[in-house]
Amino acid sequence: MTQRIFKAEGLVLRTRILGEADRLVTLITWEEGKFEAVARGARKTKSKLAAGVDLFTHGWFTFHRGRTWPIITGQDTIERFPRFRDTPDLYAYGLYLAELTDRLVSGEEKCVEICQLLLEGWKLLDGDVDRTLLCRGFELKLTASAGYSPHLHSCVNCGAESTAGFSPSQGGLLCSRCQRADLIKVKPGTLALARRLIEAPLSQIKMLRATDWQKKELSSIIMAFFAYQLDLGEIKSRRFLKD
Amino acid sequence: MAYPVSLKKLVDVLCRFPGIGQKTAQRLAFYLLGCSREDVIAIARAMVEAKDRLTFCVICGSLAEAESCSYCSDPGRDQSLLCVVQEPRDVLVLERTGQYRGLYHVLHGALSPLDGIGPEELKLDQLVRRVEDKNVGEVIVATNPNVEGDATAAYIAMLLKPLASRVTRIAFGLPVGGDIEYADDLTLSRSLEGRREI
Ligand SMILES: [Zn+2]
Ligand SMILES: [Zn+2]
Repeated sequence: MTQRIFKAEGLVLRTRILGEADRLVTLITWEEGKFEAVARGARKTKSKLAAGVDLFTHGWFTFHRGRTWPIITGQDTIERFPRFRDTPDLYAYGLYLAELTDRLVSGEEKCVEICQLLLEGWKLLDGDVDRTLLCRGFELKLTASAGYSPHLHSCVNCGAESTAGFSPSQGGLLCSRCQRADLIKVKPGTLALARRLIEAPLSQIKMLRATDWQKKELSSIIMAFFAYQLDLGEIKSRRFLKD
Repeated sequence: MAYPVSLKKLVDVLCRFPGIGQKTAQRLAFYLLGCSREDVIAIARAMVEAKDRLTFCVICGSLAEAESCSYCSDPGRDQSLLCVVQEPRDVLVLERTGQYRGLYHVLHGALSPLDGIGPEELKLDQLVRRVEDKNVGEVIVATNPNVEGDATAAYIAMLLKPLASRVTRIAFGLPVGGDIEYADDLTLSRSLEGRREI
């Protein structure tokens, strides 16, 4: 991206107040990756841009390359997920998907797959879906798309097929011979569910059934994997989820 | 450019004000240098005095010069009407309309999970208790019309619906002075929702 003016399809992940009347918008775009851009005057009630750079907006954006940040000069909204505004729970879940994406994608490289995933995640959230399972599926697919998938098919150390549990420090399953102190026991049903979630399209979530126990196990191995392998630290919006 | 040390110090301090860049700071600095000593002292004193004397009202969170603000301690105000806003300066803007005669409740923010701001941080339980104790009839939620503000309004409505007889959201619509063809769809749909009889 070297032209002075460029256009991109993207999703608004976050917005911050910048100076008196501007907003600094974090966008993830299909072709240009993730970056911050300035929406001049977007805090003013008369701003034409304000609604189009609000959180959760899916749209086309036109930019002018500025000195520090690109400046948003035009915008066309495709979808804005209005239910996320007036349903507090959905607001929190929508933000959680956005925050994870923001944290796992680092820079300005093409990320078609991740954009599709987030858009799909938001769309599913907007419908009738098991939100907890959707989050777990999203976490697994997002880490896979970002290239950090946990190893869930065999012992990560020796390749043995029968495994004893999940090791956050090893980033995958271990067998009883290779096991370590940090091993988290996982039931086979939970593992099968995790593999399904990684392999199947996110929309298949609607067809999957999981017990509360499986969801809990899944959550604990994913969180341990995040903390150990991705060094994500605190995911701020997580404590606002109801699971 | 070689600056006299005390001028540079002054410009640097002025640069910290929101919206003030190097150039404006320089202009302000030269303005101050052109003032009489008494005027400069008066300006500095006004800043310190405001900082020392202004606090937040313990009841509603507005700016106050005593424990409770001038609105909360005014018996002429409609005690059954409460307007919820995000920031203390929003109160001043509403006051400027001269239309509103009820009381306020300032949240000092909006729900923002990405910044770790949830219902506890906004002390929403305090708002609930106030509505419960004071028999408030209507709560007008005047948080900002963006996603954070709308989500906060929705959350407040959920908390207060069982307590107040009416929870309303201020209407947002077309800005005065603009043409309809330039309005975005969200603004237009809200203008329709907030329409009134003429
Ligand atoms: Zn092994
Ligand atoms: Zn007060």
